[in-house]
Amino acid sequence: MNILDIRGLTKKFGDFVAVDNMSLTIREGEIFGFLGANGAGKSTTINMISSLLRPTSGEIRILEKDIAKQSRFAKTNLGIVPQDLAIYEDMTAYENVSFFAGLYGLRGDKLKERAEEALEFVGLSDKAKSFPKNFSGGMKRRLNIACAIAHKPKLIIMDEPTVGIDPQSRNYILTSVRKLNESGCTIIYTSHYMEEVEEICSRIAIVDHGKIIAEGTKEQLKSTITDVKDIRIELKSVQGTEGELLKPVPGVRTVLQEENVIRVHSDAAVDNLNRILKQLMDAGKEIRSVEEQEPNLETVFLTLTGRNLRD
Amino acid sequence: MWRDIWFLATRTLLMTFRKRSTLILYFGLPIAGIVATFLLYGSVGTTELRVGVVNEDSGQRIAEDTVGFVKNLDHVSIVHVSRNELKEQLAANKLDSGLIIDSGFSESVLSGSPDHIAIESVKGAQVTGYMKSMLRGYIDNVAAMGKIAGGDGTTFQQIYDQYRSSAFKLTSESVNDTSLAKQMSYQSIGFLLLFMLNSAASLAELMLKHRENRTYYRILSSPINAKTYVLANIAVNAVVMLAQIVIALFFMKVVFHMDPGISVFEMFALLAIFAVVSISLSLVIIAFSKSSGMAGALQNLIIVPTCLLSGCFFPLSIMPETLRRVSDFLPQSWVLQSIEKLQEGATFGSIGFHLSILLAFAVVFFLIATYKFGRNNDTRNFV
Ligand SMILES: Nc1ncnc2c1ncn2[C@@H]1O[C@H](COP(=O)(O)OP(=O)(O)O)[C@@H](O)[C@H]1O
Ligand SMILES: [Mg+2]
Repeated sequence: MNILDIRGLTKKFGDFVAVDNMSLTIREGEIFGFLGANGAGKSTTINMISSLLRPTSGEIRILEKDIAKQSRFAKTNLGIVPQDLAIYEDMTAYENVSFFAGLYGLRGDKLKERAEEALEFVGLSDKAKSFPKNFSGGMKRRLNIACAIAHKPKLIIMDEPTVGIDPQSRNYILTSVRKLNESGCTIIYTSHYMEEVEEICSRIAIVDHGKIIAEGTKEQLKSTITDVKDIRIELKSVQGTEGELLKPVPGVRTVLQEENVIRVHSDAAVDNLNRILKQLMDAGKEIRSVEEQEPNLETVFLTLTGRNLRD
Repeated sequence: MWRDIWFLATRTLLMTFRKRSTLILYFGLPIAGIVATFLLYGSVGTTELRVGVVNEDSGQRIAEDTVGFVKNLDHVSIVHVSRNELKEQLAANKLDSGLIIDSGFSESVLSGSPDHIAIESVKGAQVTGYMKSMLRGYIDNVAAMGKIAGGDGTTFQQIYDQYRSSAFKLTSESVNDTSLAKQMSYQSIGFLLLFMLNSAASLAELMLKHRENRTYYRILSSPINAKTYVLANIAVNAVVMLAQIVIALFFMKVVFHMDPGISVFEMFALLAIFAVVSISLSLVIIAFSKSSGMAGALQNLIIVPTCLLSGCFFPLSIMPETLRRVSDFLPQSWVLQSIEKLQEGATFGSIGFHLSILLAFAVVFFLIATYKFGRNNDTRNFV
């Protein structure tokens, strides 16, 4: 069964098109990655799925029911982990979870049980009676998740759940996502961190300027770019003029710079490594190491958009 | 939907009132207001009512006797002054009230239709009410004698002499204390109106805070819709204000033994209507505020000044005429006017006009808020 069906979804803010005629189908049981740079339109799409924003046009179905017509049904089956924390600082962790779960009609012992279960799941049981204002960033993020899962939704949408947290909390969250999925939840995982998406998602859509520009499994996405190679050159120091230097080399498509590393995307078919290195050495650059990388999602993104995901 | 409202409202109440500071804000302050008025008026409670008398009908027996009658009232002392002196001394608070008898007063009483007499005060009807009612009784009696005598001087003289010898022995019971209590409760209610408006506005601010900390959106992504959420908050608001009213009336009546001169039920009903006005005003504040900070600013901008202008802090009568006219556009003033009317003995039914004005305020505010909400292209647009 399709848990989410989006057809021709568009959202305009004035003249600005944030989501542009997007169509997408997600089946039950997937961990679906929604990958895109900041401002790509991910959150806007999610806000429309969760009925917070009305689409300018298009249709959204959850479990094959139109959310505009059966919003209660849609909302009951949906759990949203919003990008910005949405918790009450002056209520304890337990009270937060129990309040939000109560909005879905849970009461009494059942509510208590579910709230405790959710806190346990995100590893905050021992903090149940503490106030979030004393929590670390990672703990707040985990509470933010607990508030979205206590009512046991079939579809959980996580909007950048790992922004700005320590690696330990991040791992905890990624593990939780897998566990949720194993327990039968479908998950849409939004992020602009490539590695996370690559690690946990079974299928991925790459979003740019409100459009899905590529979709498929990791392998499918990577296989689309067999014609590109990704060369990583570490220099002693980088001036920022290297791009200009390498552009004239046949086959070179894009040159990006990350600290003292430049990354060259080039046609796989053109044998140009020597010329690239010569060009650099002639300009007096001191090369520390050269490496040709396996294509990853970042390469895919770069190839498709000509931009780095982190820009 | 009712289940949802109940759940939201009870949770919000629990959440709001777990903090001692909010308890103090919502309930402590109204009580403090009553204590303050009690202390304020308690100290002047034993002093006399200082009446300045302007007698321009001097030499006439009835006028002289009228002055004498007032002089003999309990808790009243008089001084003879000129019109200008009266104005100055009232303004300087050296006098509480003035009795002005124009020439022709005695004549008019004799002819059976009393006229040319006026009472002035800067302290509101509670102060002069007692003197007024005693005086009216006296003058009406004398006027009735004038009518009976039918203009016959000697007959009148006979009846009048008889009346005088007994009338001046009449000592009023301590009505003055009641009038003081009336004024105290009037003032306490003035403060209560302020605190009711403030707590309505604070709850409005709370709703805006929930929009800022994004929990509002989490609520909206659950099966709860915006309407249910707003209704639940209105319910919370109503409960808080009804509790404020009950607590304030309890402290006035039971703890401080102030007799407002109105039945508790009438007072409660009147204030409950005002609660509806406050709630609809808070909706207007929400509709026009982009942030909780802006709501706070609006609250400061609107509430205290309008309370001042409508006589919540001191009686309107000391204000210039133009400002007094402004108060007709302020709901607080209609509550206070209703209280005055009821204290003067009007029935609840007879102040129907005042009550409908109050309800009209509520309806207008509500319409403004819904119109603005509609123009905001529904609350969901604020993601
Ligand atoms: N309420 C709004 N009004 C105007 N523009 C908006 C609004 N919400 C989002 N946008 C714009 O829409 C684009 C997509 O934003 P968003 O969906 O938040 O991106 P993402 O979540 O992928 O980072 C951004 O350029 C953003 O500025
Ligand atoms: Mg986003």
